[in-house]
Amino acid sequence: MKETREVDVQAETEPRKETEVDASDTRRRVRRRGVEEPPPGASPTPRLPWWANPRVGLVVVIAALVALFSSARPAFLDVDLTLVPLQRDISVFVVVGLAQLAVLSLGHMNLAVGRMAALSAFAAGLAYDRFDAPLVVGLVVALVVGAAIGAVAGAIITATGVNSFVVTLALDFGLLGVVALLYDRFAGGVAFSTRPPGMDELRSDTFFDYCIGPVCGPPVPLLLPFALVALVLVGLFFGRSRNGREVLMTGASLRAARLSGIPVGRRVVTAHALSGLLAGLAGFMLAMTNGAFSASIGDSFLLPSFLAPVLGGTLLAGGAVSALGTALGATLTSVIQKGLNLLQFEADALQIFIGVVLLVALSLDRVRQVLAERRGVRA
Amino acid sequence: MRVVCTQLVKLFPGVRALDGVDLDLRPGTVHALLGENGAGKSTLIKVLTGVHKADGGTVLVGEGDDEPDRPVVFSGPSDAQTAGIGVVHQERNLVPAFSVAENIALQALPSRAGLVDRAGVREIARRCLAMLDLDLDLDRPVAELSVAHMQLVEIAKALATDSQVLLLDEPTASLTAEEADRLYDVVRRLREQGHVVVLVTHKLEEVFAIADVVTVLRDGRSVAGSVPLSSLTRSDVVDLMVGRAHTERELQAREVDRSTTPALELRGVSTSVGHRDVDLAVHRGEIVGLYGLVGAGRSELVRALLGLDSVTGGSVLVDGRSVTIRSVGDALRRHRIGYVTENRKEEGVFLTQTVTRNVAVTVWDRLARLGLVAERRERDLLATYQERLGIRLSGPTQLAGQLSGGNQQKISLAKWLAADCSVLVIDEPTVGIDVRTKAAFHELIVQLSEQGLAILLISSDLPEMVALADRVAVMHERRLTGEVENSHDYAAMSGRIIRLVHGEQAADAPPAA
Repeated sequence: MKETREVDVQAETEPRKETEVDASDTRRRVRRRGVEEPPPGASPTPRLPWWANPRVGLVVVIAALVALFSSARPAFLDVDLTLVPLQRDISVFVVVGLAQLAVLSLGHMNLAVGRMAALSAFAAGLAYDRFDAPLVVGLVVALVVGAAIGAVAGAIITATGVNSFVVTLALDFGLLGVVALLYDRFAGGVAFSTRPPGMDELRSDTFFDYCIGPVCGPPVPLLLPFALVALVLVGLFFGRSRNGREVLMTGASLRAARLSGIPVGRRVVTAHALSGLLAGLAGFMLAMTNGAFSASIGDSFLLPSFLAPVLGGTLLAGGAVSALGTALGATLTSVIQKGLNLLQFEADALQIFIGVVLLVALSLDRVRQVLAERRGVRA
Repeated sequence: MRVVCTQLVKLFPGVRALDGVDLDLRPGTVHALLGENGAGKSTLIKVLTGVHKADGGTVLVGEGDDEPDRPVVFSGPSDAQTAGIGVVHQERNLVPAFSVAENIALQALPSRAGLVDRAGVREIARRCLAMLDLDLDLDRPVAELSVAHMQLVEIAKALATDSQVLLLDEPTASLTAEEADRLYDVVRRLREQGHVVVLVTHKLEEVFAIADVVTVLRDGRSVAGSVPLSSLTRSDVVDLMVGRAHTERELQAREVDRSTTPALELRGVSTSVGHRDVDLAVHRGEIVGLYGLVGAGRSELVRALLGLDSVTGGSVLVDGRSVTIRSVGDALRRHRIGYVTENRKEEGVFLTQTVTRNVAVTVWDRLARLGLVAERRERDLLATYQERLGIRLSGPTQLAGQLSGGNQQKISLAKWLAADCSVLVIDEPTVGIDVRTKAAFHELIVQLSEQGLAILLISSDLPEMVALADRVAVMHERRLTGEVENSHDYAAMSGRIIRLVHGEQAADAPPAA
């Protein structure tokens, strides 16, 4: 019954006098004790050193890699050959990463992120093919279908209490078959042949192609703003909105959230619906990039969807997310992929490299957590 | 085995966690180790068990009751174990899926040809349980045991490594009174067998019930080093711990206006978890105590009330209106009822989140402008309650998990005050909180009621009940057995309440409201 027990260690070493905390000694202390230490009672708000911020680390690594790749292959800085396609890749994978981030906030996973994208893309393709829908209507259809299937996943998790890993894994298998059948039935193959008006522009144009008088836009693909809007909205949702924060609190502690008056079931559904919606957006964007609505959309989404948020400092355990970090994480992986491609690495070698980067990044993450614990601030 | 520590010093950066501690553990004694949170008790235990290495002072070990002559330095917990010092921590350290026997023998598994010797395991377990005069099914998984039995298995486990010195860290924190009595029997038995039992606790009743010798720590120093308990009174011990003459606050009986409509009233309430015919009313400005043994169903009643379980019969009235409460959110937003849970680490606060978010979690809808929460308003809110409740923080981004228990409890309370609750259910507010913080918390609860809150106080701490409540309702096996007007006279009150706890109607109890 009485599970509440005082954990004395936290208070035992509470400083009795104004003290200065020596960094190296404290690190040893944290290792040795394995528990968080209280910060000095009256000191100003502790902060992490700038270098412990994973976002800063990512920016540095990205800059270093760009410098490395462009000195090895000047073509890396070629606008049409590299930079524009790179931005398209980044745009898609930022949104994919955000789709995973939406449920990582709960400490959940969405293993069906790729198949949700595929189903959404199918729905958009169907709208274009059968109903001659305008471009934007197809986008809305993709988002709605994605959100709906995500909400279903969330509802199943809430209703049954089964782990999200299992539910979305099962969903992934189910959708794999459904998507193949649907394309077979409605597209007579593995892709729709119809292209709605505007799709080609969205696919290949950059803002450089649009000029007002003598002033033309930057060489940024038209797809990039989609990712930017998603990024800002997701950032605001988790950082500042009531619902988003309640999702995070639910991720931090389900029981405490329930006892704080948060409707936890609804928040779980919300987060999964958001994940599905973003997966739908990613599916739409990838279809635009590929130039076709096909059954293979989303096949390559699963691993990158974890890579980007985790690199950016989102916790797998739930309760803390970073939208900006996800963008940087997606950028890093895309830069590595593009760079190694240019250096003519084999695809397999590329995977090894990305695996190594992930391990290193996560090890750094552990250092960051230890630092955060000892300073008593958010990681 | 006798262990003598002299002038132990343990430094953490900027802190002298131990600053000259003397301790003399003689065989055949129960040695109470007392001190407020932060006094150094846990650090001392960790030094004694080899988790920490002392930065100064000596630990001498000797056979029997002789003056010890052998200095020891433990370089790790297994060293201390080998030397015969065992510890039972507050946190459970059992493997739930393993059997009782396996858990007991875990630290020194007998093996034959590289395989675990099952007969040997059972033999060890049987021997250790016999020392405790306990009869437990050796093959039962530990997960199926009650908390009290797990505690005893942990003690048996410590004995399996031939521990002559046994450190028990708050052993009764999660036990009922009867289970605690059984534990005391075990402790006395161990004493008769010549063990030293070191008891770390916050409960003075417990100390006076079974300890022979006491060491009191304050600010890392031993202010009373191994003093026979017979020479001290209860108030002496409190003085030693707090370091100043400490007067237990006596509240006068207060006049509460009960002519008004109760803020919260239960009429003949039954619940899905077995409560029957519960009648209870709490008025504005009143503190109603709900007393009972652990397991009597008090927290469960509140949980049903809040929609976590269901109310199956009778009616719940808030300000005279009959209501149905479906969830905690419902209780909070529609009826302004808050619940400060007994389980603060898992349910009361979000350990991994900032204190700001912990306090503002209930009011984000109110703090939002155009759907976005204004962080400045959030911090203002925190500052308000930080000052009002005297919460010690290093800053608004500090994580709740890094606060002391008392401050966490205040954060848990602040969240409901921020939500402007008019009825507050406070469940076991001071479990595991030291004497000084406890007194401050009591004052706070009284202040809140004086400001017009209706407070339903659940506590298993009888002195706390008598100090705070205006009326005490007693629950026994999910029914209310009676209600007593509090006279604030501890001796008389405790007698009447205890009688009710055991199901006897107090002869002079006023009729239930």
